[in-house]
Amino acid sequence: MPEHPPQLAERLLRWLVGGRDADAVTGDLRESFQTRGGGAIWYWRQALSCAAVRLSPHRRVLPGLGHDFHHALRTIRRNPGYAFTAMVCLALAMGVNTTLFSFLDSLYFRKLPVPEPEQIFQVIRHGTPLCSWREYMNFRDGLRSFRAAASLSAGTYVEIDRQTVNLSFEVVSANYADVLRLGTTLGRWFAPDEDSPGSEPAVVISHQLWSTRFHSDPAVVGRQLRIHDLMYRVVGIGPADFVGDRPPIGVDLWITESSIQSTFMARGDADGPRVSLIGRLSPHATFENALAEVRVIDAAFTAGDAHDPRASDPALVEPASGFLWVSGRQYMKPVVSSMSLVCGIVLLIACVNVANLLLSRAAVRRREMAVRQSLGASRARLFRQTLVEGMVLAAGGVALGIVAGWWIGRVIESLLPAVSTQAYVGLKFDIDWRVALFVCALGSASAILFSLPPALEAGRDLSPALKGADSRQRSRQREIYSLAQVALSLTLLIATSLLIRALLHQQNIDPGYATAHRLYVNLWASPKLFQPEESAALFTNLLQQARQLPGVREATIASSLLGSEVTSACASADASAKPRKLNSNVVEPNFFDLMQVAIVRGRAFGPAGTLGEPPAVVVNQTMARTWWPGEDPLGKPVWLGCGPAARRLGTVIGVAKDVKYQDLNEAPTPFFYLSRRQDAGTGFFELIVRTEGDPYLWSKPLLAVAQSGGPKLHIFELRTPQDAIAFDLRGLRWQTELMGSLGFLAIVLAVIGLYGVVAYSVSQRTREIGMRMALGATSGDVLWLVLGRGLRITAGGVAFGLLLSAVAVHWLRSYLYGLSPFDPIAFSAASLAWLAIAMLASWYPARRATRVDPITALKYE
Amino acid sequence: MPPSYLGEFEQIVLLAVVRLGDNAYGVPIRAEIEKRAGRPVSVGALYATLDRLEAKRLIHSWFADPTPQRGGRSKRYFKLLPKGLQALEESRDMFNRMWQGVRLKGESDA
Repeated sequence: MPEHPPQLAERLLRWLVGGRDADAVTGDLRESFQTRGGGAIWYWRQALSCAAVRLSPHRRVLPGLGHDFHHALRTIRRNPGYAFTAMVCLALAMGVNTTLFSFLDSLYFRKLPVPEPEQIFQVIRHGTPLCSWREYMNFRDGLRSFRAAASLSAGTYVEIDRQTVNLSFEVVSANYADVLRLGTTLGRWFAPDEDSPGSEPAVVISHQLWSTRFHSDPAVVGRQLRIHDLMYRVVGIGPADFVGDRPPIGVDLWITESSIQSTFMARGDADGPRVSLIGRLSPHATFENALAEVRVIDAAFTAGDAHDPRASDPALVEPASGFLWVSGRQYMKPVVSSMSLVCGIVLLIACVNVANLLLSRAAVRRREMAVRQSLGASRARLFRQTLVEGMVLAAGGVALGIVAGWWIGRVIESLLPAVSTQAYVGLKFDIDWRVALFVCALGSASAILFSLPPALEAGRDLSPALKGADSRQRSRQREIYSLAQVALSLTLLIATSLLIRALLHQQNIDPGYATAHRLYVNLWASPKLFQPEESAALFTNLLQQARQLPGVREATIASSLLGSEVTSACASADASAKPRKLNSNVVEPNFFDLMQVAIVRGRAFGPAGTLGEPPAVVVNQTMARTWWPGEDPLGKPVWLGCGPAARRLGTVIGVAKDVKYQDLNEAPTPFFYLSRRQDAGTGFFELIVRTEGDPYLWSKPLLAVAQSGGPKLHIFELRTPQDAIAFDLRGLRWQTELMGSLGFLAIVLAVIGLYGVVAYSVSQRTREIGMRMALGATSGDVLWLVLGRGLRITAGGVAFGLLLSAVAVHWLRSYLYGLSPFDPIAFSAASLAWLAIAMLASWYPARRATRVDPITALKYE
Repeated sequence: MPPSYLGEFEQIVLLAVVRLGDNAYGVPIRAEIEKRAGRPVSVGALYATLDRLEAKRLIHSWFADPTPQRGGRSKRYFKLLPKGLQALEESRDMFNRMWQGVRLKGESDA
């Protein structure tokens, strides 16, 4: 017969019941256990029944919770500095996590801002659009489980106030607003017959476009707008909160399908453009009904044709939430995971900090705890009290954190690349109830996390504390926490310095040509509207005018410029070979001179030449080296043109230095130049001027020159090459700024932690320090005693941090643009920076230690 | 003051305490209920009810000195308070009133 009941069950019961009640209950059970002659299962069942009753919400399991709460508030009031530090640490971490969450929310969960958004779904394929316009029209009216609107996203240029801007638009069916139940700010959406052929082209413009480009002018409704060579009447302004059905890619305009058939979308496809569907469930229908119906329709598309690409790419029905843009979601994945990781680290550091603070507090209050325990407070009770204190701190942290989160969201929005001419990127960093709920949950979770170590501490046997002893083990624990903080924040610091290095590296890449004092305007002469000769004459005319401008030293024209447009062409080294695709630049002969692109062999283009004659070709070094290895490229033939009919024979007359053509990171690729005198004159061209002083001073006159080209010539952005390059780096810059600020935050938190540990150790060792000084230690000795402690922790943290970083930097590889993730400069700079910061953090408590008066210290209790 | 109604199990527990007199602590209370009411009682439910009755000031409890046969653990004894007695009487009277003149199907007048 077993003498003793199961120890674990008994212990659990004692812990759960607590106090003398625990004695009575376990005593009763033991007595019954012995009377009935054992039965471990019986005992466990009894213990669990107790647990169930104790934990049931009907029982007042939490007597005196209000008391604990008051006690916590009183403790905080008595030590406002400590509470404030803890709350600020938490608030910062909560803030960044709030921001992260609202970001994730807009990425994955946010519904469209339309009535009853949970009924909205999209029908898409991964590879190809769902169906053609005609197919959509055929099944639209037969749908039972949902109503569907077709939509097709595209970009075009729109002329507003004589300036052409690149806008994103959506071609939609006339029932689009009806299906989504959209309102308008002004005017109306499309009438039901407005997508039938022959109706007047109508456009609805977004609220965003209306307020930025039309200065919220109500008279815009009814005006004509030129969109891709066709005049549209503005019939309405979209609602303010609706930026299209593909957030965060904003839509600037909506037009109907009828208008585009005749112009640019048709491309000879009799069935009309390929479209995706956005649907709203009918009342009482489910997603399953909708999916079943879509499957049937989908099967009908490919029934007659096994080669239809759609056969291998089934239609999907997805609830419309977050990014509806599938590739965008994939593109954001690495950003999301690295951001989540970093925000998690910051939160962890903050929690460790607060735990450390609570531990220090607990050490100071050990006597109090011990007295309370000996007066009959159960461990569970003390545990709970510590937890309540943590909760109160967390509540303060959450409240401050929501404010901080809102603020951080604003800062990030202002840092987001300003894509003024492109689609408005509608990332949202708002605080809504879900975000608040998330932060509260996070706050409670962290409260439990950081209350656990001190609470377990409180639950321990405290009898030595009554005698006023502090154990070595506990100070060791705090050191380990601090060390972990140093390690984690060092990892972030290293990541930041890697990104900074990558950014500097990128910025220092020489594009290979002069960028200062240059300004360009990007122009487009549509091949539909211009004959080559007409366009060539127009550009020559514009060039002449630009040269006449005061303050302009010289002007040139090129079809390709880094950060703007790159022309692609076909060429081959002999007539029989298949033409290869490569990039090219059609330039005015003075281009090499003005942009300071050196000609390393041969000569540049001469001023003469006529359209259609056999062209002279200037190749770059890479093309010369790879196309004619070991040979002299001068005089070699180059066959230009993609199709066999359009092939022309050119001759290499010079070799130009390699420069960057498409982006700063590119490896040298073959590239060739043609003279504008000998090549077709339509398409994209940059009118580039070299100015005196600040190039932007000449932007107005240059724009006026471009506008003199007449209404058929489209004018795009006007920028300096320097700005174009800076714009190219915006993604990396954003990443660096984000990581940098989070890294900085982590360091601030870790410094607070380190300072706390060192300062606390000084206060604990005041007696010892006084004794040492009384025995003849100099203040230098004491200084080193204290500094040494801080440095020891830091050194350990740095060592761990380096190991951690070595693993973590792999995530960064894709952002480093070729810089090694183990860049020694970044690693050593970050480590040295941390050591210096640690010295500073330990310096103040160390100085204070040297000022200890031995007499006072010896009396110190 | 309105009379405090007793739940069924509360009534059973109170009666067990009354029956046991000076020996009313956890183990015998459970044994008494199991023997007389013929239903198993878990220790959790029992103590939850005893705590509630004490909070209502119907019973009073105190800890006795630890005894060796319980592994050095003290017993918690319970005693009926006057208010508990009154509550029991009220319950009994209420039931008596409700039963008066009631004859269930198949029962003869006894």
